[in-house]
Amino acid sequence: MKTMTEIKTNKLTLVQAVTDGLRTMLREHEEVLVLGEDVGQNGGVFRATDGLAAEFGEARVMDTPLAEAGIVGTSIGLAINGFRPVAEMQFLGFVYPAYEQIMTHASRIRSRTLSRYSVPMVIRAPYGGGIRAPEIHSDSCESLFTHMPGMKVVVPSNPYDAKGLLIAAIEDPDPVLFMEPMRSYRAFKADVPEEKYTVELGKGAKLTEGEDVTVIAWGNMVSTAQKAVDQLKDDNISCELLDLRTLYPLDKDLIAESVKKTGRAVIVHEAPETGGVGNDVLSVINNEAFLYLRSPVQKVAGFDTPFPFFSLEEEYLPTPERITHAIKKAVTF
Amino acid sequence: MVEVKLHDVGEGMTEGEITQYLVSVGDSVKVDQPLVEVQTDKVSAELPSPVAGTVKAIKAEVGEVVTVGTTVIVLEKAGSREEQQSGAGKRAQVKSDMRKEQTSFKMRIEKSRPAEGTGRVLATPYTRRIALENNIDIEQVKGTGPAGRVTDEDVYAYRDQKDSSVPEEPEQREKEQQVTGHLPAVYETPESNMIPYRGRRKQIGKKMSHSLKTIPHVTHFDEVDLTNLIRLRDELKEETGSAPGAAAFFIKALAIALKDYPVFNAVLHEEKEQIELKKEYNIGLAADTEDGLIVPVVHHTERLSIAEIHTEIKRVLNLAKENNLTKKELSGGTFTVSNVGPLGSIGATPVINEPETALIAFHKTKKMPVVRNDEIVIRSMMNLSMSFDHRVADGAAAVAFTNRFAQLIENPAKMMLEMV
Repeated sequence: MKTMTEIKTNKLTLVQAVTDGLRTMLREHEEVLVLGEDVGQNGGVFRATDGLAAEFGEARVMDTPLAEAGIVGTSIGLAINGFRPVAEMQFLGFVYPAYEQIMTHASRIRSRTLSRYSVPMVIRAPYGGGIRAPEIHSDSCESLFTHMPGMKVVVPSNPYDAKGLLIAAIEDPDPVLFMEPMRSYRAFKADVPEEKYTVELGKGAKLTEGEDVTVIAWGNMVSTAQKAVDQLKDDNISCELLDLRTLYPLDKDLIAESVKKTGRAVIVHEAPETGGVGNDVLSVINNEAFLYLRSPVQKVAGFDTPFPFFSLEEEYLPTPERITHAIKKAVTF
Repeated sequence: MVEVKLHDVGEGMTEGEITQYLVSVGDSVKVDQPLVEVQTDKVSAELPSPVAGTVKAIKAEVGEVVTVGTTVIVLEKAGSREEQQSGAGKRAQVKSDMRKEQTSFKMRIEKSRPAEGTGRVLATPYTRRIALENNIDIEQVKGTGPAGRVTDEDVYAYRDQKDSSVPEEPEQREKEQQVTGHLPAVYETPESNMIPYRGRRKQIGKKMSHSLKTIPHVTHFDEVDLTNLIRLRDELKEETGSAPGAAAFFIKALAIALKDYPVFNAVLHEEKEQIELKKEYNIGLAADTEDGLIVPVVHHTERLSIAEIHTEIKRVLNLAKENNLTKKELSGGTFTVSNVGPLGSIGATPVINEPETALIAFHKTKKMPVVRNDEIVIRSMMNLSMSFDHRVADGAAAVAFTNRFAQLIENPAKMMLEMV
């Protein structure tokens, strides 16, 4: 077994870790293909596929027409026929034309064919606000996909998880929506092993140990919640911060175990509150840890409006202040 | 909309437990059709429908204890404006009505939450778990948190207070510790069964413990020779084919003895500093039924003959057995009799039926050697136990009273002379 010192790591941003993960899999498996708008020569709108076309050729890293339904439909066909396509949506908010392909085909072919065919494809999609993008570019519509049995939904919040989760997603026999938090793309660097490794899908992570309240977040909101948790140390409020990492299927054990310990929970997400994944987390708490609750579960979420134009986006997105307020409310109920 | 509220169906009742609904949402109902069955502290009563219409909502769950004045069912009157409205407008109306009612229902519950701890209490699930694990009925705990919420500390304080204030038999204590120390065992062990402590059982419990807590009970024991009474009853049977039961004779004798010692046919009004001597001699009969103890009353025993008392006893006991006693038969008692002799008892310390002053229990009659005129003879002897409120009367009066009773019952011929 190798120790940490033997593992060669690089300091990478989250988007570089995505590139690294793609490169690792393109090298290892010939059946892995990358396709999307401008992913080839241009290296993708966020440079996530930078250099891959040069290294692996346009037959494996290919530009497509501006037609999301076509990209996903093509990927489904490739996946059924033995390839492992990784399709890129330039922004998650652009996925809507492809929704029909995902909902009625990608997520169902396994059950429709009684497991004779599965669809081992990944849809990568940058998502979320905070980068002052125009309309639709900032949508956080993950719950459209968590409500789709047959489809896994994965959201890394840091470079290490981004590479490990992406490799696990590409290796998964079923379709995975891989959401990349745009605001975290270049926000910080972390040690990412050079070699291939995976982070198990369906497992969340406990980022900080705490006693008083469990704070549950994913993607962009993990770093925002971390700021709130750090601020509250001065008030002697000890928070346990969970990064869900996979939104479908949820890591119920992790959520239940933590809430049973702390007796309180605050769920943070940037998608609108109504119909959000926060409600599913709440349902897990209700089913698994009800008799341990000391206060009503709090939710800090986006508002029930379309994501606003950028002058208002800081008002829309949960802030550390909103989260600390909710945590205090939970703790002092 | 017509709200059917729990009203006072018995004497001074404050709450009742919903035992079953006789209609469902959407049912059409007629005027006076029974809607719901409610168990009060004395009777199981049906609430009838005040109007003809449709059941719109059921507001309380089966098993829930609701206070008087709480809306139990919402009806839509037949031919009402609401019923004529159609489509979405109607639905919206119903919805908004329901919301309004739910809010006021909730407010009423919160407002009516009694200090002594019946009804629903506010508490977080965590606090409820602590109560559960400590085998504490959280509804008995007084909350000190926001809006009267029961906090963890309240539950712990209640537990500690309970532990220190109730002296228990060591065995009982051990049993309890097994329960509280490792609560899940109660639920996990397939051998143990849980009996809900609700309805009549709970009412009896509350009444008994209140009586014992507030009244200084003293129990006086005596024995009575029933040989002559038994002989008289045998003679009557021979002549007429039937005879009133012994209980009818006892009650008649009590009615006479109580006139001489009215302090035992009395109600103490402590706050007014008065003892009210009742003019009626209404004797309650502690009756054992499938649902537990209930006390129907034979009214005006001073005006009834022994035969009439016998008929009345039979009537009310039958009603009690069938759970059909009305408010009239359950109220107005001035003195209570517990005739446990037929069950085989030889002694007891009966608990006074508040607000009465005394209660007498008659035990098994058995043939015994006794001394009469310096000779040992066989007589039919019966023990009696009389509990009385020591605030109202003293032991000497109780002894005199039972002596008077014995004198009457031991000489039935003499008793005839004193009957009205």
